[in-house]
Amino acid sequence: MASIPAQHSDLASLSQPRVLASERTSAVPWYIWCAVFATTSATVGAYWDISWHESIGRDTFWTPAHLAIQLCGVLAGIAFGYLILHTTFAKNSPLAAASVHIFGFRAPLGAFIASWGGIAMLTSAPFDNWWHDAYGLDVKIVSPPHILLIIGVYSVVIGTLVLLAGHMNRTQADSHTTENRLILYINGIMLTQVMILLMESTQRVLLHSVRAYLVSAALPPIVLALASRLTRYRFAATWVAAFYTLFRIGLILVLPLFPAEPKLGPVYQQVTHFIPEEFPLLYIFPAFALDLLWQRTKSWSDWKVSAASGVVWASVFLAVEWPFASFLMSPASRNWFFGTGYLYYALPPASYAVRNVFYPSTYTALEFGLYMLACFLIGTLAIRWGIARGEWLGKIKR
Amino acid sequence: MKAFRLCAAFLFAAVLGHAHVGSPDIYLEGKAGPYQLFVTVRPPLTIPGVAEIEVRSESPGVREIHAVPLAMTGAGSKFPPIADLLTASPRDSQFFTGSLWMMTSGSWQVRLTVDGAQGQAILSVPVPSMARASKRMEFGLGAMLSVLGIFLMAGITAIIGAASREAKLDPGQRPAPANLQSGRKATIVGAIIVVAIVVGGDYWWNSEADDYSLRIYKPLQMAASVSGANLSLKMSEPGWMQAKTLEQAAYRVFIRKMDDFVPDHGHIMHLYAIRQPGMDVIYHLHPEQREDGTFALALPSITAGHYKLYADIVHANGFPETMVSEIDLPELNSRALAGDDASASTIPWQRASTSNTVFTLPDGYKMEWLRNDKPLFANQGVSFNFRLTTPDGGVPSDMALYMGMLGHAAFVKTDGTVFAHIHPNGSVSMAALMLTGNSGGDGMNMEMPGMKMAVPNTVSFPYGFPSPGRYRIYVQMKHGSTVETGVFDAVTAGT
Repeated sequence: MASIPAQHSDLASLSQPRVLASERTSAVPWYIWCAVFATTSATVGAYWDISWHESIGRDTFWTPAHLAIQLCGVLAGIAFGYLILHTTFAKNSPLAAASVHIFGFRAPLGAFIASWGGIAMLTSAPFDNWWHDAYGLDVKIVSPPHILLIIGVYSVVIGTLVLLAGHMNRTQADSHTTENRLILYINGIMLTQVMILLMESTQRVLLHSVRAYLVSAALPPIVLALASRLTRYRFAATWVAAFYTLFRIGLILVLPLFPAEPKLGPVYQQVTHFIPEEFPLLYIFPAFALDLLWQRTKSWSDWKVSAASGVVWASVFLAVEWPFASFLMSPASRNWFFGTGYLYYALPPASYAVRNVFYPSTYTALEFGLYMLACFLIGTLAIRWGIARGEWLGKIKR
Repeated sequence: MKAFRLCAAFLFAAVLGHAHVGSPDIYLEGKAGPYQLFVTVRPPLTIPGVAEIEVRSESPGVREIHAVPLAMTGAGSKFPPIADLLTASPRDSQFFTGSLWMMTSGSWQVRLTVDGAQGQAILSVPVPSMARASKRMEFGLGAMLSVLGIFLMAGITAIIGAASREAKLDPGQRPAPANLQSGRKATIVGAIIVVAIVVGGDYWWNSEADDYSLRIYKPLQMAASVSGANLSLKMSEPGWMQAKTLEQAAYRVFIRKMDDFVPDHGHIMHLYAIRQPGMDVIYHLHPEQREDGTFALALPSITAGHYKLYADIVHANGFPETMVSEIDLPELNSRALAGDDASASTIPWQRASTSNTVFTLPDGYKMEWLRNDKPLFANQGVSFNFRLTTPDGGVPSDMALYMGMLGHAAFVKTDGTVFAHIHPNGSVSMAALMLTGNSGGDGMNMEMPGMKMAVPNTVSFPYGFPSPGRYRIYVQMKHGSTVETGVFDAVTAGT
């Protein structure tokens, strides 16, 4: 399937110095800024859309939140489609030599990944529309068409990271401060997006259940390990977790400032303003612990680092989140900052969130120990995968 | 792509009714204060989904109507969402249309707020809400999604191959054989992963579809048996709106039970037994529920035959259901009809004329269908008007209310796919109507303590046939202590 196209022979005529000359400064190219804007738009749109569903309920394809999400797909499609076509067909394209070849086209790898994400996002729209007609408007995040949309968004984010890494690795500069900061920012976006996927498994009422800790070990550490290994910043994981934390706290502070009323029933909770998502999980603590660990284990093998990191991540997260979850169930947390008093309009009075009680989960000491062991193992594999991807990104040049 | 092929194989359950069989649309004629309204609500096929609503004001001066859906009982009935303004027809200023979201299965009401020359008034319409079917994917959409799906699969596989083959090469560097080999391996591995994801997605999709199919309405099941003259109706739960987990129990507002029935105009169950295949003998009876949950009845004298049974019950939250069963009954010479029991016997529908509008009753009285010459169309709400006269064509002097109303009607399609038990107010159950807190309307609650009102000899039933075909209409009115049952035949054309 992936045979080298005919254009590949043209590479022989392209000189490496010419490519480097065109990118000898590390000025971040326009298409990367475009991708950064697209991923930001998708993230803001996604959380805005979730809040819309929890506050107003009814929507159309044309709500501003939906448009912000789809703008990401459209921007990715247009910007990277242009980049691919220009690199493939324009004479003397500066990126021609720094391209990969797919289906007869050539462009930097990230452009293909992001374009693919844009097409996946746009494909999800009619699929989702049909899903609503066939099975009713979904009031949940994890459904097949939504997953296609989320995969599309993730692909645009990953494509942006690949473009950034390729650009950085090709160019010569004393430091790549802007690129590294953008990489941290994109990883922050990625973690914030990942938490949408995990939202239903990490609700406040599930924070005394192992499910929340298992999924927390599976995905967030990949992003943190990747960011750290790619940027080599001392506190990369902390910065990425801080972005997610501040973004989510920002939603709690800002969204309730805007009026909104349910347009769907049944309404069980009176809502007068936009409802934000719950308080962020305290990932910033295990992320800080990982940064400290990684600063002291540079000589260790990747597997050894990963194993230690898996244990540190799961242990620190459990130690801080479990008692903090108890606080989030208390009346003291029902304020403008922790926001546990903001309830989705359709939450029935008998639901756990309204009653401020945890979903009942009882474990024997052995069961709990085995689940924690599973968290360690999952976290180890996740971090090892993140390290590998970070290393790979550190080497790509196209 | 298997998932997309499977989507075309989906579907679908028969389109069910609720309190009726095969007749999901709601027709209600009632008063919002001084305004007489004819309301039609067409519930959605899927839940959540959009219900269509039409309101015709039969009183002049209505300026605007707002509609809002809310739960019939419980916490959800306290906070209505923002009401929608219905759109007035440009050709008829007293005809309003709109759409409403029905978000959960259960017992709902649509609250209409009418503003007009005579001030503001409210009418609430009970609307049972349930998913009735799923929807097939159109060929065009399926084809488009399949093409896009195949493109995405091929695209990501090629990207994985290219990433392994070329991504780490210096600009301008040509891939070495080792790079090409690595690219091929990555392509194969990528293809395997993509196929695994698609197979997993297919499994997930099927599991979601199975989960949805559990939410498609299934009426309570009913098994009928007879011993001597004793009829026994045993109910069973087919597994709809049941909570299987603690989470479902906490979040599901309506969990169907079999011991929460409330009387609907005086009876816990209204049982229609209609002899098949001619639909020529009908009994309207009222079994009682015993302590073990079974409904039982000492049958009156019965003409032998194979009967189809339609049993109407109403849950405590106003959610009505019709249970269906069949039974062979022997010739019975037991008791006479008593109380609100009623029966009729006539010629089979196959030999009856749809143009006959007068039915002669056993005591010589006559019941007449006051219909015009216009043809009947499916899905069109109209008023069916009937008049009871003495043998010499006069007004009976002893007209009486039948179970508190001017009359009852059952609209039954001859192929057995439609059964609707209709009141003068329409197709809603009276028990549900009471829960809405409406002040009342024509033909309902006419029994006032200490007041003697003259009962007219005409009755009107708002209803619309749900599909084209041949129907039999059974109409019951009362004079003195005699419950008369008139039988009429109708044919309906498509819209």
